[in-house]
Amino acid sequence: MARVKRGVTTHARHKKIVDMAAGYRGRSSTNFRIAIEKVEKGLQYAYRDRRNRKRTFRGLWIQRINAGVREHGLTYSQFMNGIKRAGIDIDRKVLSDLAIREPEAFRALVEKARGALSGAD
Amino acid sequence: MKTYSAKPAEVAKKWILVDADGLVLGRLASIVANRLRGKHKPSYTPHVDCGDNVIVINAEKVRLTGNKLEQRKFFWHTGHPGGIKERSMGQILGGRYPERVILKAVERMVPRGPLGRQQMSNLRVYAGTSHPHEAQQPEALDVAGMNRKNKRIA
Repeated sequence: MARVKRGVTTHARHKKIVDMAAGYRGRSSTNFRIAIEKVEKGLQYAYRDRRNRKRTFRGLWIQRINAGVREHGLTYSQFMNGIKRAGIDIDRKVLSDLAIREPEAFRALVEKARGALSGAD
Repeated sequence: MKTYSAKPAEVAKKWILVDADGLVLGRLASIVANRLRGKHKPSYTPHVDCGDNVIVINAEKVRLTGNKLEQRKFFWHTGHPGGIKERSMGQILGGRYPERVILKAVERMVPRGPLGRQQMSNLRVYAGTSHPHEAQQPEALDVAGMNRKNKRIA
């Protein structure tokens, strides 16, 4: 039976990690001992930030809706209240996209929200 | 559907002219900072310089409420022992470079970093009424009309 030399598997294992560390700063991208620490931490950040991404994007949509709505003299919270009372069920992602790409449609939504607000009081 | 992300090439940068005569400093600075950052646009993108160019004139006539002219201080350190120096806002406003009061106030409202520095370079503040940007045909922005508290008389 053929003799197994351990350097081959070790080298393959090290190469996998060092390749994942491509582009890291300093010895982190070339030295296995340092690279494995950085790669493990990087994977932790990646896992966490795949979840956090959903929050940051929701925050960005809200900022954009706010900017779009203020052009028409309402604030974000007033607009969201109005649009809910008007029974319009569009999520923030689509609303922010309408504000950028379809300003006319967005203006119509703002008018609907304003109408629902004044009707309620 | 993918969330829109503005490209630097497709950003339309306008030129805005603000007359600071009689305006309250902090209220003016927050409006200017929002304009510089582009947060007034629905296409606001956090990592792209998507704001407007802002020209502020009459910076020496900006108003401070309360006793801030004497009590609000600017500090810097020369590096020598005991080298902390200070000037009050009133001294700066009456000095050679009164526009620094507005520059500093806006700078502190824009996030620090490479993008913040780039956005600050889109701000031009002049002490007097004249400015060398007529060729850009700046659009006047009525800050006083946005809120009655933005302007102080006497």
